[in-house]
Amino acid sequence: MKKALGHDSIRKAFGEAIFQIAKTNKNLYLVDADLGPSLYLQKFIAKYSSRYIQAGVAEANAAAVAAGLAKAGKTVFLTSFACFSPAINWAVIKQSICYNNANVKIVGSHAGLLSGDLGATHQMLEDLALMRSLPNMEVFAPIDAVECKKIVQSIAFSPYPSYLRLVRPDTPTVFSPKLPFTIGKSHILHKGKDITILGHGPALSQIFSLPNLDNKLEIINCSSIKPLDTSTILKSIKKTGRCLVVEDHQKNGGLGEAVASLILSSGLKCKFIHLAIDNQFGQSSKDTTQLYNHYGIGLPDIKASIEKLMK
Amino acid sequence: MLFNSAKYSTLEKKSQQLRLDLLNLVYGSGGHIGGCLSSLDLIVAVYYSKLFNLKKDKFILSAGHYAPSLYVTLSDQDYFPKKLLATYSHFNSPLQGHVSTEVPGVNYSSGSLGQGLSFSAGLALAAPKTSIICLTSDGEHNEGQIWEAVMFASKYKLGNLINIVDHNKYQIDGSTDKIMPLGDLAAKYLRFGWSVITVDGHNFSQIISALSKAKDSTHPTCIIANTIFGKGISYMQYDYHYHDVKSIDPQHYLQAKKELEANL
Repeated sequence: MKKALGHDSIRKAFGEAIFQIAKTNKNLYLVDADLGPSLYLQKFIAKYSSRYIQAGVAEANAAAVAAGLAKAGKTVFLTSFACFSPAINWAVIKQSICYNNANVKIVGSHAGLLSGDLGATHQMLEDLALMRSLPNMEVFAPIDAVECKKIVQSIAFSPYPSYLRLVRPDTPTVFSPKLPFTIGKSHILHKGKDITILGHGPALSQIFSLPNLDNKLEIINCSSIKPLDTSTILKSIKKTGRCLVVEDHQKNGGLGEAVASLILSSGLKCKFIHLAIDNQFGQSSKDTTQLYNHYGIGLPDIKASIEKLMK
Repeated sequence: MLFNSAKYSTLEKKSQQLRLDLLNLVYGSGGHIGGCLSSLDLIVAVYYSKLFNLKKDKFILSAGHYAPSLYVTLSDQDYFPKKLLATYSHFNSPLQGHVSTEVPGVNYSSGSLGQGLSFSAGLALAAPKTSIICLTSDGEHNEGQIWEAVMFASKYKLGNLINIVDHNKYQIDGSTDKIMPLGDLAAKYLRFGWSVITVDGHNFSQIISALSKAKDSTHPTCIIANTIFGKGISYMQYDYHYHDVKSIDPQHYLQAKKELEANL
């Protein structure tokens, strides 16, 4: 299988989706922490200024304001960079959003190493750990711009708080516009028989640039990180007996840990490799491929892991 | 709504009766009694003055450790049976140690300080025709988020937002002056664009007059209520060791009961 991959911006897709939903959902509010244009909110701000709340660089206040709006019946998206929200305001998300069951959608852009030249402070590698651990919280990481729009559509009408992880650069488009997104469901993007490859976001989509994607590899998009599609994942691993998880996140608290726990609890036996950032901070680079390779989550590491699993 | 001295004395009596409920609750289960006693008159003013329509106006307890004060008030207002008070902070009770929406009548679960004013600002923004009354403690003003919320409420001109500060001058480790001096709190709020009214937090005439002015304000209003930590029980007053008590021994309990009953 070979195809030329198009590229598109996941955060731009978010900005467009939210603008579309606001047309019909008059209840939809945005609470932003001074990063509107970075999340492509200009159209929303221009057209729906009364539903755009600019809270300034104050993410703790923004999260609890969002919770108050939500408890008063609004559907609220809280937007910032992942390194600020849910990082700075985690305790506010725990108490004011999750414990009070306020229907707030936390949107953290610029997650992962892909923030590139911004460096370690802006490369949020711990967001999934923070958000997976919270009761009442659902966690999503779209693989591309197409899926991002579908996820935004879906969570805008869900009654639960959720976290949506976005990335900075344009990334390969691999999700078919015909595929639906369902909370708690994973799609098998490529069928195979020998190795189950799990991941989320562009760390997973990079596999589609491998020259020979043969029928050995079964690629499953785990964009719904919590709830996880346990049956699709286990069914595949039962068949392949080998599992590779790749993600742009710390090993601690990421998808890989969730999958490892799932496999052990199920009683299935399989070979397992988890490619993720291993207890380190990121660093600046204009070349994100260089960063992926340096931290062991790039294509060379994926290829080597495939060989190791097939031995 | 017109008030006269007879009405104020009814509120004072109500407060004394609820102080006894509070003492009994803390005698049975422990709790943050110092701040509960300093803030109780403020909560009574909100719930019994009839200034507010509490079916739509909302009271938000940001200082979640004052839970027992709100619980005794809500049970007296028949939100739940009084016998439930004895289960405070026990396993399987809705009456969590810090205030929780599991309890009928509670609008916001809190305990981690500094968040309730922001939450109140969100409610106030969503429903401009309702009054949102938030109660914070003075020690809580150590939290940076309070000042984020103060700026936010000023920017959005939330005239329907009232922040009552229980200024009892003590926090868990000692006096606020020693732990983290607040300076001139009134001047700070004024400079941030709020209306400010300073009152004696145990004087119902002053509290109610301030609340009714705040209700009609076009700016967010801060009511700085000067209160007495441990108010009403002589040996607890001004003693920060009564911030949170695990238990009260029978002798001290009887003394406190006697003092409170003398004022009934």
